[in-house]
Amino acid sequence: MIAFENLEVRYAAASAPALKGLTLSLERGIVGLLGPNGAGKSTLLKALLGLLTPSRGSGTVLGVALGAPEAARLRARIGYMPEYDALIEDASAYEQVAFWGELSGLAPEAARDRAHEVLYFVGLDEARYRPVSGYSTGMRQRVKLAQALVHSPELIFLDEPTNGLDPDGRRRMLDLVLRVHAELGTGVILASHLLGDVERVADQLVILDQGHIKAAGSMAGLRKILARRVELRFLDPLDATQEAALTELGAVLEARNGLYDLELTEADPAGAFRWAQARGATLVQVTPRHDRLDEVLLRALHPATSPVEA
Amino acid sequence: MPIYAPTLPPAPDLHLGQPPALVIMRFDLTRLWRQKIGRFFGFAFLMMLLWKVARIYVDHLLQTNQAFKPMQEFAKTILTQGADFQADLLNPASYLLWFLVALIGGGLVARDTLYRVRPLMYAHPVAPKDYLLAKLGFASALPFAILLPFALLPWAMSLLLAGLHGPVWATAPLRLLPAMAVSSVLMGSVAVGASSMAATPRAGIGWVLGLVLGLGTLASMIHTLTGFRAVDGLNPVMLAEAWPQLLVGVDHPLVAWVPAILGTVLHIGLWTFVAARRTRPSEVVI
Repeated sequence: MIAFENLEVRYAAASAPALKGLTLSLERGIVGLLGPNGAGKSTLLKALLGLLTPSRGSGTVLGVALGAPEAARLRARIGYMPEYDALIEDASAYEQVAFWGELSGLAPEAARDRAHEVLYFVGLDEARYRPVSGYSTGMRQRVKLAQALVHSPELIFLDEPTNGLDPDGRRRMLDLVLRVHAELGTGVILASHLLGDVERVADQLVILDQGHIKAAGSMAGLRKILARRVELRFLDPLDATQEAALTELGAVLEARNGLYDLELTEADPAGAFRWAQARGATLVQVTPRHDRLDEVLLRALHPATSPVEA
Repeated sequence: MPIYAPTLPPAPDLHLGQPPALVIMRFDLTRLWRQKIGRFFGFAFLMMLLWKVARIYVDHLLQTNQAFKPMQEFAKTILTQGADFQADLLNPASYLLWFLVALIGGGLVARDTLYRVRPLMYAHPVAPKDYLLAKLGFASALPFAILLPFALLPWAMSLLLAGLHGPVWATAPLRLLPAMAVSSVLMGSVAVGASSMAATPRAGIGWVLGLVLGLGTLASMIHTLTGFRAVDGLNPVMLAEAWPQLLVGVDHPLVAWVPAILGTVLHIGLWTFVAARRTRPSEVVI
């Protein structure tokens, strides 16, 4: 779906690069793009949309090279839902979705028909005839999603789609994202700073920070890494020799009051019991700690360890 | 829980659409229509058009009805029927037309800036030149469309009433239509350039009026202080009025040929350049 190698993007020739030597390949699916403000998420989306020309490196989106002459036509195959409003306040949802459809290449009549279909798909029924200036935040987000879908793109970029939504609105929007991929087969790049959103819908994850990729891989792979995170509880406190030997099991992340957080070298935690038996310690409990994706993000952004590779 | 459609059918063919510039111009026209701004101006320009047509009809009556013979001498003073009369056909309160262009053109780009629509436009298969062409085309087509009846209706009526000897020359449209085109593009480029520098439609209106009136005042001051007439070529209002005069060949046009050409090229080039710079994709914030 998307691949780039050593991609570097600058806003001006003399400025510092906003993206620094990114190399990545993404399969069709729902990709979560995580990172704090200024990490380079929007710059990456701009570069993938062909709005910024890479100063170095190469890449392809849907098989079309970045910066190629046909990149403009490529945008007819991509839908984009911006983070900010970008709505034409004095026009109705129906009018503007039809307008965006026409700009993507639909004939006027087809664009009008399509606007009705796609607004119904996102759950805007009779409200579609009203000017969007009177819409709630949730309705506005759905109009933005509708305009991104109006031309049946192969790939959509969603920039913070749940911004400003209440929990119910968030759930509905994420349901729609899942439906877009499941029912329409559309690839999704979801840029967000909300880990819960990404964890719920994404099957691949990319963590960006200061123009670098800090971590990338499938969610399943990341979860496997998380599955190696365990908490060990011993019957008696370990002596200094035993504590030092814990590194044989894996990296010791934290030790407190007889409890040890480890990232095991082997996926099978049963090895910990064998190690304890060999070292004369009594291991009474092994607790998996794979419930927190944000730990992956925090570790990637504030590395005491090397970048996560899944 | 809303009831959703079971799925979304695939979109029709994406290669049957109209050029992006045309789509944007049509949408701008729809927005303008909704603003109902045309009511006041429509009435004002209609009254001016009727006045010009009435003058031609009165002239016809004076020529053909002996009862009006004593009034003919007076009529000659207001109906010169020469080049000045032809050029004056395109002068429907020049400042009013500029005001209309400022009101509508001033918001054309600024409204997209305010609502942050332009980045989304460039995320579609729309090139910056398509966007610029649409805005310039719309801002220029508007004064052209308003001026069109002022050129054609009196001409048609003159031909109908008095044939080739009427007050409007039979060849007048051949001279007036190019003059209208040049003046309209001048108005459109100034409006779009000024609008591109504004962050809101109101500021855009201010920019257009400020540029038009400010440059006019500056040119007048320099003209008065130095006696150098060519500097009037900087005044967009005088330029727009001068082109019909130049093309129909009046004896003393407001601006001579060379400063008119230089001034027009400078304004169109400068403001189009400004608009192009201010609407680049790299200027957009996603």
